[in-house]
Amino acid sequence: MIYYLGSVPVSVDHSFSSFLRLTFIVCLTLFSACAANKSAMPNTVRLVTDDAGRHVSLPARVDRVISLAPNLTEIVFAIGAGDRLVGRTSYCDFPPEAKAVAEVGDTLHPSLERIISLKPQVVLISTSSQLEVFTRQLQNQNIAVFVTDPHDLEGVFRSIGQIGEMLAHKEQANLLVQKLRARANAVQEAVKQKPPVRVFYQVSAEPLYTAGHDAFVTDLMHRAGAASVTADVPGAWPKYSNESALAAKPEAIILPTGGSMGTANSDVTEALRKSPAALAGRVYKINDDHLARPGPRAVDGLEEMARALHPDAFK
Amino acid sequence: MMSSTASDVVSPTRRNRVTLRKTVISCVVLAVALVLAIVLLSLIGSEPLPARASLCALASLGTNTCGLTQDQFDILFQIRLPRILLAAAVGGSLATAGAGYQALLRNPLAEPYLLGISNGAAVGTMIALVFFGASEWTRPVLAFTGALTATLAVYRLARGRTGATPERLILAGVIVTTFLSSVIVFVTVLMDATRIRSFTFWLLGDLSGTSKALLPVAITIAIAGALALTLNARSLNLLMLGERDAFDLGVEVGRVRIVVFVVASLLVGSSVAASGSVGYVGLVVPHLARLSLGSDNRISIPAAALGGALFVIVADTVARTIIAPRELPVGAITALIGAPLFIYLLRRA
Repeated sequence: MIYYLGSVPVSVDHSFSSFLRLTFIVCLTLFSACAANKSAMPNTVRLVTDDAGRHVSLPARVDRVISLAPNLTEIVFAIGAGDRLVGRTSYCDFPPEAKAVAEVGDTLHPSLERIISLKPQVVLISTSSQLEVFTRQLQNQNIAVFVTDPHDLEGVFRSIGQIGEMLAHKEQANLLVQKLRARANAVQEAVKQKPPVRVFYQVSAEPLYTAGHDAFVTDLMHRAGAASVTADVPGAWPKYSNESALAAKPEAIILPTGGSMGTANSDVTEALRKSPAALAGRVYKINDDHLARPGPRAVDGLEEMARALHPDAFK
Repeated sequence: MMSSTASDVVSPTRRNRVTLRKTVISCVVLAVALVLAIVLLSLIGSEPLPARASLCALASLGTNTCGLTQDQFDILFQIRLPRILLAAAVGGSLATAGAGYQALLRNPLAEPYLLGISNGAAVGTMIALVFFGASEWTRPVLAFTGALTATLAVYRLARGRTGATPERLILAGVIVTTFLSSVIVFVTVLMDATRIRSFTFWLLGDLSGTSKALLPVAITIAIAGALALTLNARSLNLLMLGERDAFDLGVEVGRVRIVVFVVASLLVGSSVAASGSVGYVGLVVPHLARLSLGSDNRISIPAAALGGALFVIVADTVARTIIAPRELPVGAITALIGAPLFIYLLRRA
């Protein structure tokens, strides 16, 4: 094949028809290679259902996985299957070992060509990336796409279980879920007797965005002994009215910042500068990577929030 | 109408007096409507406020709380009123700029949004946000630079060897708009993922981030710009006859062109820096002004300024209340109202 490709520039000089013939031969070779690949694929497949309700057929043994979301990359590494990961997004920066894995673009704009060239058997995606069209293209390439859509901490545990099963790391996954669940239960036990703190969760200050009903972090806040003042607002990340934020009089404000956010979102929005929360100094900056990524570190975020909101419960 | 035209031949001063009276009357009516809109729409928002106490506090210009709680007082004077005033400044600026471009370029479709001038200002603002995020002052300055650059680019592109035809101008605007849109997309992709959502909102026009520092700037520029273009309205009237004829009648065509380009760029720059790209205001409002008051720029420019303020205040009231406590970008509302209204106007004309 290399011989054919290499001779193309020479043949162009001769005549166009010989170039065409060569192209034809090259194509034939490529096609037969593809056909050979397909027949070499293992016949044993299993059918699993993902969070989008799709039936995904997976090969019996999955050795090559690409993750298109940072939380999924964290899950793959946390269950000890990091060596199966052959591709990740530029946002997948944890654990540090993940950075050694090939990049395939960012969460919203992954490179289809690079994904295909990495020959994954499964691509893990998160619904928040809105990759419907992309999913179809991957399926046309005979690459299985597994969609996760956790809305709460239980959803994260489910994702861990599903990925553990997919990568034949079921025991490690179960063990991880057990540990995380124990930590989450301990937090809930500690704050159980405490009256919930009325919290405003500021996603960004200008314009003002917050966490709504469908956000994963709303469940996390609830478990941390907080009552999100925007828990009933429809949607996951609604743009919120400044005056409604002021009128809600939150007792505490959570600023997800730091981590991969850098210094973004480290100031309280102007409308809340005189809120009871700001006046009492109850503004808590918490690592955004722990709150925005529905992965194993979400339990870190849960503990950090609970300790910030109810310091006396953890003495 | 007939009789006044006949007497015009006899006495040009009388015609001027008639125009002046018509200008004053229409401006006073619109100004009263504007003040009423500012006051009444201050009573509407995602949080209900007691109407009587709010009116009393507004009448006292914020010196008396009139029994409003501190929170209600803050909502009214720190959040709602500044936003409404910014809406007025943005609407007035965009409509004035639209009226100015339309008169100068003798093209009823010339509009900051359609000509790519808003996009030029948006690119400037984005550069300011990305590289000088902390200093708010760089935003209007770079937005003005972007708007002026886009204006000159469109103007140069539109003036081919055969002169600037209306079609050529719009095509030049389309080219500049799409080019700058791809620059915007490029910058957005390079930028922090965490900021993409807020930028898409801002690009559609959003008044919620009313900045205390930029509000007085936007209001000052809106008023000064409307006055400056109104003072040049007579020259613009003569320019509607064509540049050569206007020159023969003693209009300093080059100077008027520079004044309109600089003033309109200032207007577009300050409003885009404060609120993003709010579309259709510069198109629909001057059209309405000309349809109802005639094409004399001495009337239509100040009327467009006041009408634009009114239009955006109403549109933003819809944007901030219709799905409260969530919000829509005001640009979506102006386009939803503006596009069908414009089609109606086109069919009627």
